[in-house]
Amino acid sequence: MAKPLNNAASKGAASRGALVGSFLATSLRGMVSLSPLLVLVFIFLIWPIISVTVMAFQDNDGAFTLGNFATATQGVYAQAFINSINIGLLSALIAAIPGAIFAYIIESKGPEWLKRIIGSITGVLAQSGGVPLAFMFIAAFGAEGSATLVLKALGLDIYQTFNFTLFSFQGLLLVYCFFQLPIMIIVFSPAVQALRHEWREAATSLGASKFQFWRFVGIPLLFPSFMASFLLLFASAFSAYATARAMTVGTIALVPLVIGTLVDGNVINDQYNLGKALAVGMIVVSALAMIPYLLIQRRVSRWQK
Amino acid sequence: MRIQRFVAIATAAVAAAAMSLTVVAPSQAATNFCKVTDLKTAGGMDALVAAAKKEGKLNVITLPRDWANYGEAMDLFSKAFGIKITNDNPDGSSAYELQTIATAPASKQPDVVDIGVSALNSTLGAGRPQIFSPYKVATWNHIPASWKDETGHWYGDYSGVIAIAYDDSVSPAPKKISDLSKPAYKGMVALGGDPTAAQEAFMSVYAAAIAKGGSVKNIQPGLDFFKSLKADGNFTSVLANGANYVSGAYKISLSWNFNAPGAIASAKAAGKTLHYVIPSDVALQGTPYIQAINKKAPHCAAARLWEEFLYSENIGKTSKQITAADKKLSGSKLFAKIMGGQNIFVSGGATPINVKAMTKAKSIVKAPAGLDIPKTAKVVQPSPDDQATGKTLVIAQWPNL
Repeated sequence: MAKPLNNAASKGAASRGALVGSFLATSLRGMVSLSPLLVLVFIFLIWPIISVTVMAFQDNDGAFTLGNFATATQGVYAQAFINSINIGLLSALIAAIPGAIFAYIIESKGPEWLKRIIGSITGVLAQSGGVPLAFMFIAAFGAEGSATLVLKALGLDIYQTFNFTLFSFQGLLLVYCFFQLPIMIIVFSPAVQALRHEWREAATSLGASKFQFWRFVGIPLLFPSFMASFLLLFASAFSAYATARAMTVGTIALVPLVIGTLVDGNVINDQYNLGKALAVGMIVVSALAMIPYLLIQRRVSRWQK
Repeated sequence: MRIQRFVAIATAAVAAAAMSLTVVAPSQAATNFCKVTDLKTAGGMDALVAAAKKEGKLNVITLPRDWANYGEAMDLFSKAFGIKITNDNPDGSSAYELQTIATAPASKQPDVVDIGVSALNSTLGAGRPQIFSPYKVATWNHIPASWKDETGHWYGDYSGVIAIAYDDSVSPAPKKISDLSKPAYKGMVALGGDPTAAQEAFMSVYAAAIAKGGSVKNIQPGLDFFKSLKADGNFTSVLANGANYVSGAYKISLSWNFNAPGAIASAKAAGKTLHYVIPSDVALQGTPYIQAINKKAPHCAAARLWEEFLYSENIGKTSKQITAADKKLSGSKLFAKIMGGQNIFVSGGATPINVKAMTKAKSIVKAPAGLDIPKTAKVVQPSPDDQATGKTLVIAQWPNL
């Protein structure tokens, strides 16, 4: 997006005189062409954030209160934040490193046909989620799931031997990794593609060992993308709703589920605004997660120029 | 001068028109059905049916077809009166219903709602604006006083009893709630939702509480029971629904009895045999769901006819039995010929709110087999106040079960 605008601006400057005017005109033109996007961003991002935040500070009769936030940071609700952050971080950690390595191997070593197949498969799997995903696992690894029964027939009763159950924090983690890994492969592959062959050749011809190449060139170059991907994974697990809902009936407090209970339940019907306060909490956590990314990005952009 | 004369002429014209209309159709011309508060002000059943037919549409909201036999109720109403029913978000929650009333555009507004009691409490708290239109159905006096608003803004419609649903393969068959801790049921027991979000699951915890020495005032033993079921591995947190049942993820669940006919039929279609039994230790009678007409209802007459239909105690024709000849009958005759909503609830396994009057008048159809309340079972019903207390304990403890 930035490039065409710059071109337009330099053209404007070249057309002698009225530099400021033409600059204004082009940025105005830029704004006009951007406006559909801006309108969408406003309607679907800015406005919901504003209205949720406003309501989070209101009681049921619309008066100002901090009570929702006081409640949201205590007891079950604080526990929900801890659980959600835990599952976000853990599932991102588990998926990010193998996902990055897979992406590298596929992109750099894999034949073209394999890349294409993996591309389609990961595309589908990354989109699998919600109730269908939960059901897939229940049908496979539930107490009477087909995989459980096959393993049992082979002499391995996962439920008895490992005291395994799909319907626990560990079970959820396993299920989440099923969509986290493909997401990682998808979002990290472009970064691997951008790692140019010439750089490796240059490093090798200057006498760098394989380890040195990765230590001083490869990893520093890929690290920002890795962090960005990691944060995306964190966000996707942190905010996942339907899968957990179908698998826990509320026995593990997770923020999205608790919000669902508060704003769309049949039992609690007078605490919508507590749900809004929890939503604001989620926005804050996501925003905080962006800070390390922005810092890395700033540092990186200095030498990327 | 001219204005005065005009007014005089206009008044005369209106009077004349009104008089001529009085002769032709007494009620239709004058009746604003959005202000009608009972059958009498509607001008009788013929007038109500005629006006509803003219509207031709009814917007309902969050009515699952399998739930308390609502599928049959909608089919019959629609077929008999030629009124097209739009059912918004059949699996939605009470909260969704109230939010739709608050935010949806005029044409998408529901005409009638069916909400849980807890939603009602938060909606009608002191100082809140009234969102329902008052209406008293013909059988108003049969509705117990504790389950209706004396001004007619809302009224209970049906309730359920918590039953044990279990697969044919479960051996021995569970008979009471306390059976659920049997070692034979390891990994088999599930709930149809999160007790902090689903009334059915919340009431299941109450049922467990009463079976384990608690009361409607003390839900703690129920939470403790589920805690021990989880520790023993009997309770699995998989959501009890049709698909998960068929896949074998659980075999026993606690469920409203009025979901039995639909669930049994779906199970059969999937090659499974599902049984329902009311526990012999406790018959937990849920609080009735609440019926009300939306103040913003786009189809005021159809909404009122729907309520008359739901509260009718007739024993009559079902949606499959009704004929073309029946539909040609006058409104009141047609209405008298079809099965009333209260009996449709009975056929679905639910307890209709007018059950006492219906039993006395012997105007009640037979409930589906196997869902009788055992003589030994203690029949209990937590009041909305009891539930408010129980709720706080469940909210605090369930997520750390």
